[in-house]
Amino acid sequence: MSVIPTTGTAAFEPLAEIAESTNDSRPSQLLTKEDCLEIFNQLYLARYFDIRLIKEKKRGRLRGTLYSSHNQEAILVGALFGLKATDWISPIHRDMPAFFLKDSKFQWDDPTRSGMSIEEVCAQVWGKVDSPGRARDNWSHIGSKSKRIIHSTSMLAGTIPVAAGVVYADRMNGGDAVVLTFNGEGSTAQGIFHEAVNFAAVHKLPVVTIVENNQWAYGTPVHMGCPTPDVADRAHGYGIPGLVADGQDVFDVYDKVMAAVEHARSGKGPSIVECKTFRAYGHGDHDDDRAMKYRPSEEIEKGRTRDPIAICRESLIERGFLSGAEAEQYIAERKSASEATNDDFPPVVVEYLNRGIEFALNSPLPNAEEGAMWVFKENA
Amino acid sequence: MAAIAAEPTLVKKNYLTALREALIEEMRRNDQMICQGEDIGMLGGAFGVTEGLLDEFGSTRVIDAPIAEAAIIGTAVGMALNGKTVMAEMQFIDFISCGFDQIVNMMATYHYRTAGEVNLPVVVRGPAGGYGGGALYHSQMNEAWFCHSPGLRVVVPSTPYDAKGLLKAALRDGNPCIFFEIKELYRKNEIAEVIPDEDYIVPLGQAVIRKEGTDITFVSYGQSVYHCMSAAAELEKLGVSAEVIDIRTLVPLDEETIYKSLSKTNRVVVVNEAPMTCGFAGEIVARIANNAFNLLDAPPARVTRLDTPVPWVKPLELHVLPSVEKIVRVALQTAKY
Ligand SMILES: Cc1ncc(C[n+]2csc(CCOP(=O)(O)OP(=O)(O)O)c2C)c(N)n1
Ligand SMILES: [Mg+2]
Repeated sequence: MSVIPTTGTAAFEPLAEIAESTNDSRPSQLLTKEDCLEIFNQLYLARYFDIRLIKEKKRGRLRGTLYSSHNQEAILVGALFGLKATDWISPIHRDMPAFFLKDSKFQWDDPTRSGMSIEEVCAQVWGKVDSPGRARDNWSHIGSKSKRIIHSTSMLAGTIPVAAGVVYADRMNGGDAVVLTFNGEGSTAQGIFHEAVNFAAVHKLPVVTIVENNQWAYGTPVHMGCPTPDVADRAHGYGIPGLVADGQDVFDVYDKVMAAVEHARSGKGPSIVECKTFRAYGHGDHDDDRAMKYRPSEEIEKGRTRDPIAICRESLIERGFLSGAEAEQYIAERKSASEATNDDFPPVVVEYLNRGIEFALNSPLPNAEEGAMWVFKENA
Repeated sequence: MAAIAAEPTLVKKNYLTALREALIEEMRRNDQMICQGEDIGMLGGAFGVTEGLLDEFGSTRVIDAPIAEAAIIGTAVGMALNGKTVMAEMQFIDFISCGFDQIVNMMATYHYRTAGEVNLPVVVRGPAGGYGGGALYHSQMNEAWFCHSPGLRVVVPSTPYDAKGLLKAALRDGNPCIFFEIKELYRKNEIAEVIPDEDYIVPLGQAVIRKEGTDITFVSYGQSVYHCMSAAAELEKLGVSAEVIDIRTLVPLDEETIYKSLSKTNRVVVVNEAPMTCGFAGEIVARIANNAFNLLDAPPARVTRLDTPVPWVKPLELHVLPSVEKIVRVALQTAKY
């Protein structure tokens, strides 16, 4: 039996789901009020996580480099919201909130959900033994086989072939899982990006490659790493759809990713969804000062005017899901970590993270001897 | 005020500044030289080794490369094939694995398979080493991979003077070279030193004795040299006099300095940060066993990383990496044997 489905779209054709959709039939238009308010809260949660870690580090309670996802939250929330529990993801350094946002819809606290708990994620950030990786590797280099989160290394784009292999195996097992891989635009220059997307395209695998185009790869602007106007144009070389989403608009991300996911799930193969966004700070917090030199400050100012929280709020008001005082209750947008306070966020968000951090602070370090363990599987 | 201009500068320079000066001076000396790597131009490099290069030499000779190590190395080979000298930076030496094939199969073998027609002046350099909490992919010492690929020079400087002199020598050598910079030493004030203003090189293939001693010989390179120096100080208190050799270049290796020391001490401990199995310490021990067996009064010993990756958090990292305590312990056993 071949696991390669025989049906497929012609090269370069835009996704039928997108081409045929009118404004009213867009997937995001079918979301309920409750869904939309949940999405709004998830944006706050991702933002608060980022701001709070920066504050914790400034207070001296946290060490290590932070790669901020500030301003890129709509990509994580919008891409993950429509996934099934059986789907896989592979986040990278700038996607820390993805670990707890996965499969979190209306069930942030359910221990059986297919996403990490805030306690696990905080234990990892603080380098404690209760981290899913027992603090053996840092920051986003964690995962979970049972929760279907692929464990990355530092090597950029290195998880895309792994993701393709995972869904190849899932197909063999009769599953219908889709995998979302997250990548910076700079990482798409890696040879392994090409090798992996090519493999996925040849086998029509359900791999959706999200490109978070925040315009910068460390100190190198996008045009010096990618020669085409859109990074999504790379899709043409593989005969797969390449979509561009407004990465500041959580509903646009949701629409494009849902179209790509449905395309993938129905056996039509992979696609690339480029989400245009904007990096809020330096590459990592070690780079904040140097970034001011290589990046024009007008660019930062301009970027800040399109805050994903504000854009989501406007959509919710427009659809009548938020009104009056309710809409103006928490104004976290356009505030940097030093400007924002807990009062700018819904209490449910602050309490959730407080719990995670409390847990992490109380979790012990792993024993030194663990450094020599698990090099091989021990056979009894 | 002009009268004092002739005074030599007695400013101490750190390891990173020494490297940067080597690059700038070589770029000035050789207008056929190119530097390329991720973020080396506008940013000046992740650690700042290439700061100022873009401004002085322009974007044709200082290339901000896409994130693609295989292409960075492979294009460097092509540039060198057509007459250029190339410095290719790996943002961390750990990422060199992404360009592995271009190094070991394309670059390392070029001179050999062309019967000497082609030689490639390419130096692939990058920050290496552990003890900084960098975890699995920002801590590696993977020098053994390249020592095991004939055709490559492999260099690991441990002082600012050597960093500058060896980098210049490597760029002028005409053979491809993998140049390991110890990132924990980049800005370490304790090792800053006055280095000559005049042009100088440190020839490849010459070890140096960092401390003289009579009872036991430490052979090491990179960060381990400092651990050996501290261990030697501890041992001095216990009445054991240790000699410390810094080999500085692994390929080519200065064996003579090692055997000369052994003829005095008759005991040896080899220390490196990389894992034990097939590490360079094992190679040194093997050569001693083959070539200087008669000089030995005790089995040659090794202190290396355990055969594990480098884990992140401190207690784990220190558990697997060599330490002064571990070196002292093994040295005492060897001294008493
Ligand atoms: C193979 C490899 N080369 C280099 C690096 C160093 N590095 C880490 S992040 C980064 C920039 C990534 O840019 P991009 O893909 O756009 O992601 P962003 O950080 O902007 O989200 C670089 C060069 C790495 N981690 N892996
Ligand atoms: Mg980027």
